[in-house]
Amino acid sequence: MIYTILYGFTIGAILYFISIGLSLTFGTMRVINFAHTLTYTIGVYLLISFLGWFKGYFALAAVLAVLAVIPIGYIIERFVIRKLYGESLDYTFIATFAVTLIGVDLIKWIWGVNPYPLSDPIGIHLTMAGFSFPIYRVLIFLVAILLFFGLELLFKKTITGKIVVAALEDEEGVRCLGINVDKYFSLVFVLGSALAAMGGVLYAPLSSIEPYMGLSVLLLGFAVVIVGGMGNLRGTFFSAFALGMIMAITARYWSQGAETMVFIVLAVVLIFKPIDV
Amino acid sequence: MENLMGMNSDKTAGLTTNPHLELPKDRMWLDLLVIAAFFLLISPMLSSHRVTDFMIFCIFALSFDLLYGYMGQLSFGHLLYLGTGAYVAGLFIKYLSPNPLLAILAGCVAASILGMLLGFIIVRATGACFALINLAFNHIGFFLVLSPLRGITNGEDGFGVHAKSFLFLDPSSKLNIFLFVLACLLFVFYLLRKLVTSPYGILIRSIKENENRVRFLGYNTYLYKWLNFVLAAGVAGLAGTLTALNYKYVNPNVMDVHSNVGVIFACLIGGASSLYGALLGGVVYMLISNYLPIYIQRWEMFLGITLLIMIFRFKKGIWGYILTSLDYLQRRKLARRTVGEAVER
Repeated sequence: MIYTILYGFTIGAILYFISIGLSLTFGTMRVINFAHTLTYTIGVYLLISFLGWFKGYFALAAVLAVLAVIPIGYIIERFVIRKLYGESLDYTFIATFAVTLIGVDLIKWIWGVNPYPLSDPIGIHLTMAGFSFPIYRVLIFLVAILLFFGLELLFKKTITGKIVVAALEDEEGVRCLGINVDKYFSLVFVLGSALAAMGGVLYAPLSSIEPYMGLSVLLLGFAVVIVGGMGNLRGTFFSAFALGMIMAITARYWSQGAETMVFIVLAVVLIFKPIDV
Repeated sequence: MENLMGMNSDKTAGLTTNPHLELPKDRMWLDLLVIAAFFLLISPMLSSHRVTDFMIFCIFALSFDLLYGYMGQLSFGHLLYLGTGAYVAGLFIKYLSPNPLLAILAGCVAASILGMLLGFIIVRATGACFALINLAFNHIGFFLVLSPLRGITNGEDGFGVHAKSFLFLDPSSKLNIFLFVLACLLFVFYLLRKLVTSPYGILIRSIKENENRVRFLGYNTYLYKWLNFVLAAGVAGLAGTLTALNYKYVNPNVMDVHSNVGVIFACLIGGASSLYGALLGGVVYMLISNYLPIYIQRWEMFLGITLLIMIFRFKKGIWGYILTSLDYLQRRKLARRTVGEAVER
């Protein structure tokens, strides 16, 4: 059972990394960002390349991979998303999906379609009170907690963060104050992309790596964002861990049902609390 | 003076040839004939089996267009109803009776009933929520046939559908299936065409424009949205039963969540909120996804770039573009004629 809980925390942390960007872009720009899968997958593939160059330095390669995704996120925002502000939802969805198609095809072109194996970069087990945990999973969880507090600080204490929070509430109002909201939206988008890449990079050693790996994760991310409330940052945090725990517990008793359980929860939430967007 | 005359007639011409105005009803038979002739013509060029596949996809695109184009609700999970139709028809043939017509009926009814039940919940949502709740249900359905119902659906391996011939429908003959699917397509087109030009269709489109106003007028918009949802589900179920009969095989891929984008693209390429657009989009999408991979290895990239261009340049799709250019040509001709008359005078 302890393993299940640890597993739940790991999944929850990964879901948090991915859904925070979705939640931010949805809350501010009203864009269903399908291209999130792309930044997630590209992060993982860059990690593989960097690992090949810096043999063994996983942390260095991971940081570089996340940093390298930032310009890609900016390009997507600048040339596609920015042209779609104020458009109806379906156009933004289809445009970002088109971007994903192009990107995934590029990945297939550059890295090939074969799955890559990647092993636990630390490989040490922490033995405590008769149980042994892989340190890597604990580390992921700790990074998620750190990220949560980091984002809280960013959104509570800095002007940039405050502007973004205000724009989540009332975009027109912020615009009226003479603030160039688009600049901050761009920042939020890039931040979200980088976090998605970070989730991908951290999850890569635990999952199989193939060009379409982002799609199913993205669907889970959507579920997390809706359960937590669109643009609600704390809600996203709690719903990510709650759904991660649900997945882990379901997987313990019924391994095929784990992902579906999340969607059942999503359906139940939507039945009782429909969101009009 | 001449210029003034030209401009005047330009404006009035623009008013009378509004692309949203439906064509007069007596053209319907001609349209049906053109569609039938088109599919009959391309069937020797491609193969009749493939064209049957195209037509089934067109039926599905039509049902999706009813939901997306006319009611304005994007669904990420419409394949659930196609899959239900396919599975119920397949299981009906496998366990109850090998009569294909009854199986088609059973599949349609099952998809409609599922649409009725889920519709109560789904229709209350709008926008992103509508899209994602459909996706959630589609995922659950996919999982159900894959794992808990493995005993009867045979999981991811699927099962064969061996229908016996009945009356005019002989599933073992490719030509017979082709003609039957063509008849189904024409029937669905006829039905939907009648429907969208009726007062009901106008109401559905008004809901798309502004639901609150329609509600102020005293209509129960939920009821109409629900009806429309059930109709779309039923037609999608029909497409599913035909898929099962055409492939003689059903597996969970028929309701794979990720394949939903295909029909969305088809509607968008062709032009949403027009039945012709859905037909055209269905054919074009099937051509792209069937033939492009043979010639271009990076066909997904090509599709992505095409879609981006469509979204930024031709929002109304191919059919919308044709309509606007026809409208423009007509207006220019009218303007030129009036100018000519003015000059003669």
